[in-house]
Order: sequence, then structure tokens, then C-alpha cells
Amino acid sequence: MDTEAQAVSVSVPWDNNKLAMLLFLLSEGTFFAFLIIAYVYYHAISNTGVEAAKVLDPLKAGVYTVFLLSSSFTVWFAEKGLRRGNQKAFRSWLLVTLILGAVFLVGQGREYLHLYGEGVTVSGNIFGTSFFTLTGFHGFHVLLGLIALTVIFVLALKGDFLENHSSAVETVALYWHFVDWIWVVIFSVIYLWAAF
Amino acid sequence: MSDIPFPGASEALPLPVPQERTTGLLGWLSSVDHKKIGILYLLAGLVFFGAGGIEALLMRIQLAWPVNSFLSPQAFDQVFTMHGTTMIFFVAMPVLTGLANYLIPLMIGASDVAFPRLNALSLWLLICGGLLLYFSFVAGGAPAAGWFNYAPLSEKPYSSTVGVDYYSLGLLIAGIGSVVAAINLIVTIIKYRAPGLTVRRLPLFVWMVLVTQFLIILALPALNASLVMLLIDRRLNAHFFQAASGGSAILWQHYFWAFGHPEVYIVILPAFGMISEVIPVFSRKPIFGYEYVAASTVAIGVLSFLVWAHHMFAVGLGHSLDTMFAVSSLLIAVPTGVKIFNWIATMWNGAIRFTTAMLFATSFLIVFTIGGLSGVSLAIFPIDWQVTDTYYLVAHLHYVLFGGTVFGVFAGIYYWFPKMSGRMLSEKIGKWHFWTMLIGFNMTFFVMHFLGLMGMTRRVYTYPNLHDWGLLNMISTIGAVIMGISSLLFIWNVWVSRRSGEPAGDNPWEAWSLEWATTSPPPVHNFDRIPPIRSRRPLYDLEHPDHPDWKNGH
Amino acid sequence: MLWAVALVGWLDSDQTMFKNSVFSPVSPQALSITHLTWIVAIVAMAILLLVTALVLYAAFKFRRRPSGFEPRQVFGNSRLEKTWTIGALVVVAFLFVVTVRTMRSSDRTPPPGEQPNLVVTAHQWWWEARYPQSGVVTANEIHIPVGRAWLVQLKSADVIHDWWVPDLGRKIDAIPGHPNHFWIQADKPGTYLGTCAEYCGAGHAWMRIRVIAQPEAEFKAWEQHQLEIPPKPTSGDAAAGNKLFDNFTCVYCHAVEGTPAKADVGPDLTHVASRETLAAGRLINTPENLGKWITDPQEYKPGAHMPNFDFSKQQVRDLVAYLETLK
Repeated sequence: MDTEAQAVSVSVPWDNNKLAMLLFLLSEGTFFAFLIIAYVYYHAISNTGVEAAKVLDPLKAGVYTVFLLSSSFTVWFAEKGLRRGNQKAFRSWLLVTLILGAVFLVGQGREYLHLYGEGVTVSGNIFGTSFFTLTGFHGFHVLLGLIALTVIFVLALKGDFLENHSSAVETVALYWHFVDWIWVVIFSVIYLWAAF
Repeated sequence: MSDIPFPGASEALPLPVPQERTTGLLGWLSSVDHKKIGILYLLAGLVFFGAGGIEALLMRIQLAWPVNSFLSPQAFDQVFTMHGTTMIFFVAMPVLTGLANYLIPLMIGASDVAFPRLNALSLWLLICGGLLLYFSFVAGGAPAAGWFNYAPLSEKPYSSTVGVDYYSLGLLIAGIGSVVAAINLIVTIIKYRAPGLTVRRLPLFVWMVLVTQFLIILALPALNASLVMLLIDRRLNAHFFQAASGGSAILWQHYFWAFGHPEVYIVILPAFGMISEVIPVFSRKPIFGYEYVAASTVAIGVLSFLVWAHHMFAVGLGHSLDTMFAVSSLLIAVPTGVKIFNWIATMWNGAIRFTTAMLFATSFLIVFTIGGLSGVSLAIFPIDWQVTDTYYLVAHLHYVLFGGTVFGVFAGIYYWFPKMSGRMLSEKIGKWHFWTMLIGFNMTFFVMHFLGLMGMTRRVYTYPNLHDWGLLNMISTIGAVIMGISSLLFIWNVWVSRRSGEPAGDNPWEAWSLEWATTSPPPVHNFDRIPPIRSRRPLYDLEHPDHPDWKNGH
Repeated sequence: MLWAVALVGWLDSDQTMFKNSVFSPVSPQALSITHLTWIVAIVAMAILLLVTALVLYAAFKFRRRPSGFEPRQVFGNSRLEKTWTIGALVVVAFLFVVTVRTMRSSDRTPPPGEQPNLVVTAHQWWWEARYPQSGVVTANEIHIPVGRAWLVQLKSADVIHDWWVPDLGRKIDAIPGHPNHFWIQADKPGTYLGTCAEYCGAGHAWMRIRVIAQPEAEFKAWEQHQLEIPPKPTSGDAAAGNKLFDNFTCVYCHAVEGTPAKADVGPDLTHVASRETLAAGRLINTPENLGKWITDPQEYKPGAHMPNFDFSKQQVRDLVAYLETLK
């Protein structure tokens, strides 16, 4: 048998789960791109930026953003802990990640309550419509990520990930990075654009 | 099981095959075997094809003569909306996904797809989406805003029944299923090819399915985003597409067609793939210009994301945008034309066997060219300004989607049915099916070109008694009835042949790709042994040990 | 498909089939599109003939002979590939050039600040036409002077509609929140049929357009007549009908100049009796048809926003008598 017949043609560095997750995130990223473009479009044609500047608090949102972004690093620390066989570091960083993510969601919830108090709602006007849709879908994705991380965390406590490598952990971490970094775009488009 | 001793055969890649219940209805419903799932996709597509076909016939009866009152406009509007939605999302998509599901693992020498359980999820999401859509008929009225569902007609004030909500939910659910299936197929093709099956040796069907899956994961999100926005508008009284409160009716069109045009290629590229398998085998020659056919597919895939606003030339976007989209749309004609010429060149100097599969593939070349050329005329936007939204456009899209996709699929089904069932489809019924379909199809849709140019717009439930309109519409209706009868012949053929057709054997067509190296139907794990793959035609190499392709540098 | 158009054009020598079509242009705009259509039709026909001839030739010439011979295995030819790729590019480039040329002549961009001669507003399922210079308001039947290029502003009152009169030129959407402009011109007097081309709901099929092009003097006379307020009927059925009209729900949707009726949900009826058709092309405008329409609009145009009011026969007679005075 010639050697060429034996070679698997292209070697892909990711395992099945991570490859599937990457493709899924490509699709999700496109979905968010459309919601973001819609927000930008209404900012441009319906001048929703004026209201955004009036009712949004970029500083507060900025603080929550820092929480969410740091959780991207903490989940990375958790993965590193797992790879080094340091179960304690792995579990602790996972817990920190969960807390940071939860704090972000609480922050978003408080902001929503405040806005509803001010009379800014989905049905109120086009700013409310595009703002709540975009941030709402992002919040929903954070929530899904938290659920997945919680499952990982519980399994970790039960001693499921004793090997140095776990496809499940890496795949969920990949998703979590996506949720964190897409927020940077959303935060810039909504809060920073409104502030400047 | 095949016991051809393949010299240098290799083991199939070990992939854990989940435990299957192999018998009974429950065996089918709970299956995670890609072959059973593929067949279920095809059956679901066939059932919806029946529904969409009946809807088409209802329309043609209503339009048979002027000022007919067989259907009320409200009924007609639901029927044409459901016809388009059904045929695109619940016929073309599941049938193509089903064939890909069945064939891809076999063609790449894998024992299943990468995620068998997710595969079952995709199937059932699609079926649930379709049932949800059809449930609208009893839940207060089917959607009636057209398959592209333009806002603000699709908004609550103008579509007050729940139809559009069911449309949105049904398509969202089916769409999520399609994305999941696409991810599954991409991972399968990237990770589970048999040893030696390099990218440059992939069968063209696999190539085209791979490109299609990338289109799905990138285009479906545009649809999902627009559906979500529409649902928020309708259920939460929001304002995305309501011009009066700062929203935009035009954004819906941009978003829908950002999905909708790639979607056209999602439902045509796999048919191109089937044609690229069928024509070589029945011409006894390898595909002409493999690299060009594969590369033109990638070119079409990329361009398909840049042409969406050619659906919007009548919107009044301004000449510069119109010009840009005309350029990109005209450019798509180039890779498409390249394919047509490569297929013809494959037949050239061949030894052609006109089986039913080859008849469909050959007529595809001509009817698809007709659809492609009318497509070019629609890319030329001053002509589009006249003929868009008329029956000329209806003719165009059916020449592409029926003459293209459906003829391609029929070619594929006559070709692969023996592999799936172990039995040949009857060639006698097949020829009747082909000729009646060809005649009925051209009768139905050819006259529509004239109706459009004469001023008949699409989606009218009736029309005034103007000169020759009634005559041409009657011809079209008779053609549609012939197509209906022809479809019944096809179903009859499948029904009869699946039990009492001639036994097929492993490789009835003397074909060359891997799926023909196992039994018909294949065992649950697909292959016991995989022949060595040193070229694009491993079975040809086995048959011709003295002059295999790989010795000629292919 | 375009090539067959040539065939039919030849068969249809009495020119009835394409009487109101893409092939009967009466304006320079429409004419330039017709020319382009012919050019593209010829190119498309040539390509289709080539492909069909090649396929049929191959199908007959290269059938498998029973001897079981195996054809030479040819894998491709890059010179051929380059030939047809470049060939296709050349055709496409040619088509692009003629497209751009026609774009300018068939759809001139109006100079900034140009005031429209006509404002058309599309409603579910009728057309409102206002002539801003003279103040005339009418519906569904649009009169224009022959040989003059008029700028039209097109708006929508509800969903998306589309203006299309094939003899006069391009179609263009009426979109809420996005007013469009186009040029209307007819170089021959006559009545040109058109219709709404974008699906807009249940009444879409009966949202037809009539453009009536008249010589300048005739048009001026029409315009003058439309500006007159019809005299109020003082006796008989017509007076009773007038009273009914003013006191019943009619006035919530319709307008009649010189009366309390000022709404624009439905067509302006000030000169309804002078129109050729009723309900946007559904019925010929005769007193009998008008009576049928008032008795049950849903029978003739299902889904129309005008309900069945359950008028008595006498009430219908009165209303018809009144409306017939609105000449």
C-alpha cells in the first residue's frame, strides 16, 4: 500500500466537539451580527442614539462589563489548572467564573428594572425594541453559558474530570469566551456610542 | 455483505455505532443511524411534497380561467404562502439533507455521521417545525403574507391571525435543526474521511454538500434573526418593521434576502452535486474538469452572499446599489455556465446509457439553462423593473427550483434508490414518469413567461378577462395536472419497486465511488472493508488494475 | 424565457397578445427597456440554442453501442475551461454595459428639489392620486397630458404596494416611510392598463390602474371639470341618497368636495360618476354595477375594507341616484 493511501488528508487541530462548537459559534456570531446591524441601523435612521444617551449609564454597564470580561480569563485559568492536574485550581476558577457571570446577569437585570421604571420598554419605541432585543439575546446566551458551566462545575465536584484533558470543559469554555467577547462589540455599539 | 477481496483494503474508521433497535416502527422513530434518518428525511419531504403539490393544484384550478371563484382571495393567499414555504423549507431542504445524510458517510467511507444523536435531533426539529407550520390551518388560519413574508403586511395590523406566528416559530425550529445538521455534516466530512480520501479526491456531491453546509450555517442566522425580530414585533408590540414608529419595512427585505439568496444555492448546489455524480457514471467517463466544477461551486457559494438586493430592484434603492448588485448577480452566471459546459464535455465522446436517472440529468442541463438565462435577464435591472413580481419571475424560479433542484433530485433518487433499498426502481414506470414530468413541467411553466411579459402579476387570486390570459392560464393548469399524475407515477414506482423491484446487487450501475463498495442496502456499520483510495474513482481502479486512474496521475 | 418571445411575437402578428405589455412601449423610458429586452433575448436565445444543440448532439451521437466498448477516459482540458470561462465573462461584460446605458435612459434621476406633478398614494386596495399644482384629487384612474414627462411621487398609506403600467415603463414599490419617485410619460393618447405588482393582501388582484393619456387641451378640460363642485341634488332619490350619504357611515371613509365628507380612507367620490371603473378596476362603472357594489362589496372584492351595510333596496337606489350626480 502506498503511503499516500494511508494518510488522512487534512489534520484538523480540534476534536469533534470543539470543531462543532466553532462552527456553531460561527453561526451564532452571524446571528448576533444581524441584531447588532439592526441596532446600528436604527441608531442611524431613527436617531435612537439620543434616547440611548439619555437613559443609559455607560459607567455602571462598564463595571459589569469588566466582570464579564474577567470571567473569560478565569475560565482560561480553570482550563490551565485542569491541564496541570491541579483539581483545586480548576474547581476554584470555575466557581469564580460562575460568580462573575452571575454578577453580570444581576447587573443586567438591575439595569432592565431601572429602565422599565423610566418607561423604557420593548414596545415603548424603536430604541427600546432594538436595545432589549440585542441585550436580551446576549443575556439569554450568558444564562445558557452559566447553566453549562454549572453542569461542568457539579460534575467537577463529583470528580468527573480527573484526566488532564477534557473536551467537554474546553468546548464549554470556547462558548463562554464567545459570549464574553461578543459583549465587547455590543457594549461598544450601545453604551460607548451613546456616551460619545 | 460484500466479500470482494479488496487488495490493500483498510478497516473502516472505528466510530462507535450506538446500539440500534433495528425492527419495527419504534426502530425507525428512535433511530440514530444516518441511513434511517436519511430515509426519514426523504419520507418527510415526500409527505410535504404531497401537501405543497395539492396547494399548487388548488392555485392552478383557481387560475384556470378569469374571474373564477373556486377559492376566495383569503384562501388563495394562504395556499400560495404555504405552497412556497412548504416547498422551500419542508421539501427541498429535507430531501437534500436526507440524501446528504444517507450518502455522505457512505461516500467518504465512514460508519456514521460525527454526532448520530444530534442527527436525530435535527430530523425531529425539522418535522416538528413543519407540523407547527401546518397546525396553523386549524389554529385560526395559515400564514397569508407570502413565503418571504414582507413587513409590514406580515405585522399584526395587517395579518391579525396567528398564521404568521406559526410560520415564524415553525421556520425557527426547522432552521435550528438545519444548522445543527449542517455542523454535523461538516465535522463528518472534515474528520471521518477514509484513509486516502483527500480533499482533491472527494466525490463532487460531497464537495457541493460541504459548501452548502457552510452556506446554511452562515445564511440561516439571517432568517432566524429576522423571524425573532418579527415575533417580537407581533407578540410584544415592538417596532422593528413598523415605519410609523421609527422602524423600517426595507430592513426586513434586506435581512430576508441576505438569507434568501444563499438559500437558493442551498437548495440547488446539492442537486448540482448529484448531476455531477450521475452524468459521469452513465457516460462511462470521469467528470470533465473536476477542479473547475469544485472551484466554481466555491465561487457560487461566496458570490451568493453578495447578491441579495437583486430581489429588491423595485424598492428604489438608487442606481449605484442597483448597479453593484447587478454586477455580482451577473458574475454568478460565469461559474454556473462553467458547470454546464463541464457536464456537457463529460458526455462528449462517452458511451451514454439513457436510464431514467440519466434522462433526468440530461434534461436538467437544458431546463436549468432556461432558468439560468431568465435569471440573467432578471439581474439586468431595467428588465427586472418590468418583469419582477410577474409570472415571468414565477416561471424563472420554477425553472431553477423545479427544473434544477427537483430534476436533479429525481436523477439522484433513480441513481441511489438501489443502494438504499437493494432493489431497482422500475425503468418502465420511470420512463413514463420522466416524459410526463418533462411535458407537464414545460406546459405549466413555459407559458408563464408570456403571462408575465403580458402584464400578469404574481400572487393574484384571479385576473380580468384580458386577451389570451385565460387561454395561457388554462394551458398552465393542464400542465400542472399532468405533473400531478406524473408525481403519482413516481410514488407508485417507489411503492412497487421497494418490494418487488429487480435485486440491485452492490453496484448495479458499475459506478466508481465508495458507496457502491458495500452491500445494498448497507449494513448498520456501512463497511466491513474499505478499498484503497488512490484516486477519485477507487472502484474504477479496482476494476482496471492495469490502468488505474492513479497511474495516470489523477 | 426570452427567446421564445421572438417566436410568439412572430406568431402573434395581429399584435393582440402583447397589447398592454413590455412589448408595447409608448414612452421613451419603456422603449429603452424594450430595446434592452430584445438585446438580452437574442443573446439568451443564442446561448440556449448552443447548449441545447450540444446536449442533443451528445445525446444522440454518443449513446452506448451494444459492443460494450469503453470510451477514452478524459479528465479535462484547461484550455477549454479557460475558453468558456472567458467567453462567459465577455458575454456578462457586454450585458453589463447595455444595462448601465439603459439604466440612465429608462429611469432618469430627478434633479434635487424638483416638485412632483403628481402624488400617488397606494392604499389597501386602491390608488389615491393628487395633482399638487391644480389641487385635483382622484382615484385609480390617472389622467396625464400626452407627451409630457411628469415626475410622480409614490407613497404608501399602509403596506408595500407596487406601481406598474408595462407600456409606460418601470415598476416601483410604494413603501411606507420611503417615498419613491418615477417619471410617467405617454407619447400616444390612450388608456394604459396597469396593476399593483407587490402582493399586499386579500384585495391585491383588484388593485388595478388605468392611466388615461389625453392631448393637452382635453387634459386641461378634464382637470377643470374635476375642480368643479357638483351641484347638490334637491329632489327625488338623489336628494334622499345625499342625505343618507351625509348622515350614515359613508363620510367616515370617503370625501365629497363641498360636503361634510372629508375622509381619505376610501377613494374620493367627488367625481365618481365620471370614472370608467369601480373598485380599482373590478367593475365597469354603470349605475347597475354601482348598485351591486354598494349592496355587497364583499361579493365583488372579498376582503375589501368597505363592509356590507345591509342597505335596503330603496336605500341602494337612493345612493346610486346620488352618486350618479357626482359627475
